[in-house]
Amino acid sequence: MEVDREDGRSQNQLRPLACSRNILHRAHGSASWSQGDTKVLAAVYGPKAGTKKNENPEKACIEVIWKPKTGQIGKPEKEYEMILKRTLESVCILTVNPNTTTSIIVQVVNDDGALLPSAINAACMALVDAGIPMKHLAVAVCCCVAKSGYVILDPTKLEEQKMKAFAYLVFPNSVHSVLPEGSLRVEGEPIENGIITSVTHGIMSVDDYFYCLERGRAASVKLSDFLRRNLQQQSTDSSKAG
Amino acid sequence: MEGRLANSWRLTVNDKNFIKTALLSEIRIDGRKPFEYRKISIKFGREDGSSEVQLGQTRVMGMVTAQLVQPYRDRPKEGILSIFTEFSPMADPSFEPGRPGELAVELGRIVDRGLRESRAVDTESLCILAGKFVWAIRIDLHILDNGGNLVDAANIAALAALLTFRRPECSLGGEDGQEVIVHPPEIREPLPLTVHHLPIAISFGFFSNESILVIDPTHNEEAVMGGRMTTTVNANGDICAIQKSGGEGVPRRVIMQCLQLATSKAASITKQIKDAVEVFNTERALRKIKRHPTSTGDDVREKQN
Repeated sequence: MEVDREDGRSQNQLRPLACSRNILHRAHGSASWSQGDTKVLAAVYGPKAGTKKNENPEKACIEVIWKPKTGQIGKPEKEYEMILKRTLESVCILTVNPNTTTSIIVQVVNDDGALLPSAINAACMALVDAGIPMKHLAVAVCCCVAKSGYVILDPTKLEEQKMKAFAYLVFPNSVHSVLPEGSLRVEGEPIENGIITSVTHGIMSVDDYFYCLERGRAASVKLSDFLRRNLQQQSTDSSKAG
Repeated sequence: MEGRLANSWRLTVNDKNFIKTALLSEIRIDGRKPFEYRKISIKFGREDGSSEVQLGQTRVMGMVTAQLVQPYRDRPKEGILSIFTEFSPMADPSFEPGRPGELAVELGRIVDRGLRESRAVDTESLCILAGKFVWAIRIDLHILDNGGNLVDAANIAALAALLTFRRPECSLGGEDGQEVIVHPPEIREPLPLTVHHLPIAISFGFFSNESILVIDPTHNEEAVMGGRMTTTVNANGDICAIQKSGGEGVPRRVIMQCLQLATSKAASITKQIKDAVEVFNTERALRKIKRHPTSTGDDVREKQN
C-alpha cells in the first residue's frame, strides 16, 4: 500500500538522525539527540552517594528529571519520568555501585513527534558518555497505526495527532559479541528480539500490534547500527581532544 | 541530608590561592585579561522565539511563548511580560529540582528589571482590546550548563528569543466588535514584537586583595570572589539597572570604572545579537519561499486516475 506522507518519506523510513555526545561541561555525561525536528538534550550526574528513602540501598538507584520546553511540570511529565526510570533501570547494571543515585535530566528542546523515544535514546547516549555500566543499550522507536490500517514509523507531531493509535517501543540493541553464538540467547531467541518497554495510546487490534512490533524491531536494527557508528567514531575523537 | 552535602562541589584552598595570586599579575586561569569577555555564540532553534546562547562554558536556552489573557486591573491597556527562570539540575550538581532557589529568583528579577522597567519591550502594542484581551508574553530561561556568569548569558538568551519571536496576528470581529479572532500563521504572517532598545547585563567580580576587578567571572572565580555587581546598560549609554547585593564594599571610582567598561562592552554585544538575528531572519524568509513549490498537485491527480 503506497502511503503519501507529508514530508515525502516512505512508510518505514525514519527521519534524519543526529546525535552528539559530551556537549555540557559540568555534567558527567551529556548527549543531544534529534530525529528530524524533535530535539532532546540529556545529562547524567552520577553515581552520587546515597539513595532516596523508598529505594533499595543494596542496588544503585536511578532518578529521572524531565524538563518540558515551557510550562509547569504536570502529570504527563511525571509519567515520562516513570517510564524512563523503569526502562533505564532494566538496562543499567544496578549491582555494581550499590547505595548510589544516578540522576538523569532530560530537557525537551523541540517536540515534533516521537518525543519519548528520542528521550530514551538521548538518555542512553548520555549514560554511555558518563561511563555508567550497562548491560546493553535501549533503542526506542515509535510506530503508528492509521484508521485505514497501515503502519508508519517515526511520525511527526501532525501525523501522531491524525493517527488512530501509536506505540512507543523500546528494544535492546543488536549485539556484536565475542562469546560463542548460543550463549547470549534467552530461551532460544537472540536477545535483540526481546522488548523492554511498550507504551501504547489509542486502540489497535492484536494483529496491528504484532505488525508494529515487527516493523519496530527492524527499525531498531538500523538505529543500533547508527548508535554503534556514532559511539565508536566519537570515542576515537575524544582521545585526540585529550 | 548528609548525602546531598557530600555531593556539593567545593574549590580547594590551593585552587583559591592560585586564582587570587594569578589575578595579582592580571592573569586569569582561562588565559583572559581582567577586562576581556568570553566568546559568545548565539544560535536559534527551528521555531520562532527559541534561542540558545553559549558564553564560554555557560549555556542558556531561552523560549518565548504568548497567550491571550485578561490584563491587570490597574493597567488595562498594557500587555504582560513575565520571566520564568529554571536552574535545571543539568547545569550544576548543586542545583535541586523543584522550587527556584535564591539565585534563580535573583537572576529572574535582574533580567526582568532590565526588560520591563526600562520599557525595552513595548507592552502597549500588545493590547488588543483594552480591559479584556492582551497578549501575555512568557519568557522561559533554562540554564543548561553553569560555567559562571549566568545572568549575562540568560539576558542575552532572553533578548535573542524576544527579537526572533513572532506573535500571531489577530483582529477584532464578531457582532459588536468585541470578539478577538486569532489568525493562524499559515493564513496571516505573524508579527514581531516591538523592542525599543536592548538592555545588556554585564557582570563584574570583586576580589578582596587590592580591590581587583574582573569582568565576566567563570564559576571558579565566582567561588573565590568577594563581591559581584551586575550593570544593565544599553548601546545608547543609558543605565537600565545596577544590582549589587551585599558582598564587600568597593570605592566609588571602581563603580564608575565598571559603568564605563560596561557601556563599551554593551555596544559590541548588541551588534553581535543584531547580526545573529539578521542571519536567522534571512534563513526564515528563505524557508518560507521554499515551502510553496512543494505542492505536488500533478502527481496526486495522476495516482487517482
